[in-house]
Amino acid sequence: MFEQLPALQVAITLTAAPLVMLLWKAPRLAWAITLASCWASLAVTLALFGAVADGGSWSYEMGGWAPPWGIEYRVDAANAWILLIIGLVSAIVMPYARESVEREIARDKIALFYSAFLLANAGLIGIAITGDAFNIFVFFEISALASYALIAMGSDRRAVLSAYQYLVMGTVGTTFLLIGIGFLYIMTGTLNLYDLAARLPEVSDTNTVRAAFAFLVVGISLKLALFPLHLWLPNAYSYAPSMVTVFLSATATKVAIYVLLRFIYSVFGFEFSFEELSMQWVLMPLALLGIVIPSVAAVFQDDVKRLLAYSSVAQVGYMILGVSLASALGLMASILHLFNHAITKAALFMAVGCLVYRLGGVSLRRIAGAGQRMPWTMAAFVIAGLSLIGVPLTAGFVTKWHLLQATLEAGYWPVALLLLGSSLLAAMYIWKVVEAAYFREPEDAGADVREAPLALLVPTWALTLATLVFGIWAAFSVGAARTAAEVLLGRGVAW
Amino acid sequence: MNQYIVLRVVSRLLIPVILIFALYVQFHGEYSPGGGFQAGIMFTAAFVVYSLLFGLEEVQRAFPPVAAHVLSAGGALLYIAVGYATMLLGGNFLEYKVLLPNDQAGETFGIIVIELGVGITVAAVALSLYYSFAGRFVDREAGD
Amino acid sequence: MAVGRRRWVIEALIDIVLLTLLATVGIGIVVIRNLLAVTMLSGIYSLIVAVLFVLMDAVDVALTEAAVGAGIMVILMLGTIALTTREERVHGTGHNLLAFVVVLITGAALIYATLDMPGFGDPEAPAHTHLSPRFTQDSPEEIGIPNMVTSVLASYRGIDTLGEVIVIFAAAVGVLLVLGGGAVRRRRPPTDADDPAGEGRR
Repeated sequence: MFEQLPALQVAITLTAAPLVMLLWKAPRLAWAITLASCWASLAVTLALFGAVADGGSWSYEMGGWAPPWGIEYRVDAANAWILLIIGLVSAIVMPYARESVEREIARDKIALFYSAFLLANAGLIGIAITGDAFNIFVFFEISALASYALIAMGSDRRAVLSAYQYLVMGTVGTTFLLIGIGFLYIMTGTLNLYDLAARLPEVSDTNTVRAAFAFLVVGISLKLALFPLHLWLPNAYSYAPSMVTVFLSATATKVAIYVLLRFIYSVFGFEFSFEELSMQWVLMPLALLGIVIPSVAAVFQDDVKRLLAYSSVAQVGYMILGVSLASALGLMASILHLFNHAITKAALFMAVGCLVYRLGGVSLRRIAGAGQRMPWTMAAFVIAGLSLIGVPLTAGFVTKWHLLQATLEAGYWPVALLLLGSSLLAAMYIWKVVEAAYFREPEDAGADVREAPLALLVPTWALTLATLVFGIWAAFSVGAARTAAEVLLGRGVAW
Repeated sequence: MNQYIVLRVVSRLLIPVILIFALYVQFHGEYSPGGGFQAGIMFTAAFVVYSLLFGLEEVQRAFPPVAAHVLSAGGALLYIAVGYATMLLGGNFLEYKVLLPNDQAGETFGIIVIELGVGITVAAVALSLYYSFAGRFVDREAGD
Repeated sequence: MAVGRRRWVIEALIDIVLLTLLATVGIGIVVIRNLLAVTMLSGIYSLIVAVLFVLMDAVDVALTEAAVGAGIMVILMLGTIALTTREERVHGTGHNLLAFVVVLITGAALIYATLDMPGFGDPEAPAHTHLSPRFTQDSPEEIGIPNMVTSVLASYRGIDTLGEVIVIFAAAVGVLLVLGGGAVRRRRPPTDADDPAGEGRR
């Protein structure tokens, strides 16, 4: 059965989704099956990750048809890293989900809710693992449809509207993606990513391929919320149920960034993307604007969830900045940030979920005094917040350090200064929350507000500690990100 | 719509034909255009026509919403089950040729089963969607 | 040769007529504010597209387009109109310059892309020389069924089709979550067993 692992990686979650949907009378059982499938999926991921950690790859022929005729699943250090992010976050968010979801979702919809969660999860796994361009599109559709439904389940009435906004933008994004893939097929006659890479150089000097590149990049940028195509994200993240925000913020945009990296490095190749089309000169201004403007916007938010959502847009800016440096070190910093930001932001949104659980909302007014009433929750928020700012000994610092090195290596010292300035902005908006929670008197001083239940606190702290662990012991994540960068660049790099 | 006697009579005659044509498209998909997707939609179309003329309640007695919900999961599970079966028989996921001793027969058999899964899910989902929309409308009428 | 040429002219004429109709219907959908009319036009749009697919010998796709686009889609849209409103509410001037510019750029990019494409039906096009020969020549032997489209969809690219089934299933899950299951309330009090999505709560 061992050689079937790449298929099982997708199949487990894909099976659980319809099964869970049938359990509308047993929400607890639905939760238990979802949890079990997420853990089983993580176990498979770890096995795959271990098998390709040395930089090799593992190809699996779906339906027993050799690529490029059949669909190939190919695991290598780059997508195993993404699978690890998805697997870890969903395995940790599920124990957290039970009480949070029971509080926020009507009892008779819980099973459907978990079914949608599993679909979103399976879609993201499929996007990451597949080696076929059209298969990527199919799984994008699965995860997108499920995500729209999940976001619409937020308790605020505006959740439905923000899900609709996301639906419109997301549909444009996947349509562009499909147009790009169609153009590539017209010019090469193949859909397999690695076969495309082999056949594209022959036809790369054509309008069709250049247009395909443009459509793919714009379509994926909509999905990954690159400034200024990010407008759907703040609303979607602020109004979604807590558990959905945790999961999507940590995984959805990361997977889209992976797809972008896969296309520009593995399929089109470094020379075409950066030397012929000079896309760094498009990406870098957008990345810088995307870091500064949303960070400033975050400072002016009154709702903690919304504030963190804007910060997510800014973090996407960091990841794209690394790519736009067009260097191995920049790419590696981006890949590293995928993971470090995923655990940091998931920890922050989990802490926010704890606050929502007890306080019903997270406007700055509402969380006043939370520092005394919910000390563990707020302590987790502060530590994860430090990681978001990039304070030494946290995961966030490890990425910022490498990103800074990469910008200096490329000789862009004003960009390096801007990076430091944006950390200052991050410190400002995190401080706003801390100030409200610790130094303001609660308005309803008499109300009995207790610490969040252990079922929520333990997963929150697990991720919070992870931001410290991966901040102090950076060898693992840095090593994995290096291997992933080498795989994407397709050559050995002298680090 | 009780007064539209012509419509009622014609649709009574038409609905069985639509259903049989849907089954034809489903099971003849290997030889002629068609397959589970198209057949599923046609199958549902028959129920929708019936519902437009005789009311949602009537059609839900014939095909209850809960059955539609269960079948929409069931078709997908049938498809995935074929994948697990091929894995247990020593092939890759969805490698139908291992299902039967003869490679070609295995492929054909696998395709027929998964197309059935596709048809079931598509028909059940299309009907569920129709129920969800029409059910709200009936609810609102009753509330007014 | 003369017969082939006449055939080509007739096909081109049919294409031109159909595409003109398509464009007209498309403009109609954008301009008309009555949603009932728009729904009907979108059904017609799908039918024309289906005919175009037939002309391109993509009969399987045509069948799907006709059944989904002109059939179920129209009914669901009519259901939505019955629940909401028949007249589109116009915000501001009703014109969005940014959207217009985006559409223009997208259209220009699409035209730009076609300039270097191989001609329609060109036997030397990569789409016909790379993977297709195996699908068209070996699939009857490898799969044992004459409809190659089914062979490719269900077997060579079986996981894609599974994915599409899951997409459809996801649509059902999404609609059940947002709208509920739609069971008609009967005289007797509803029980939990009747409604997985709990529409009985309303």
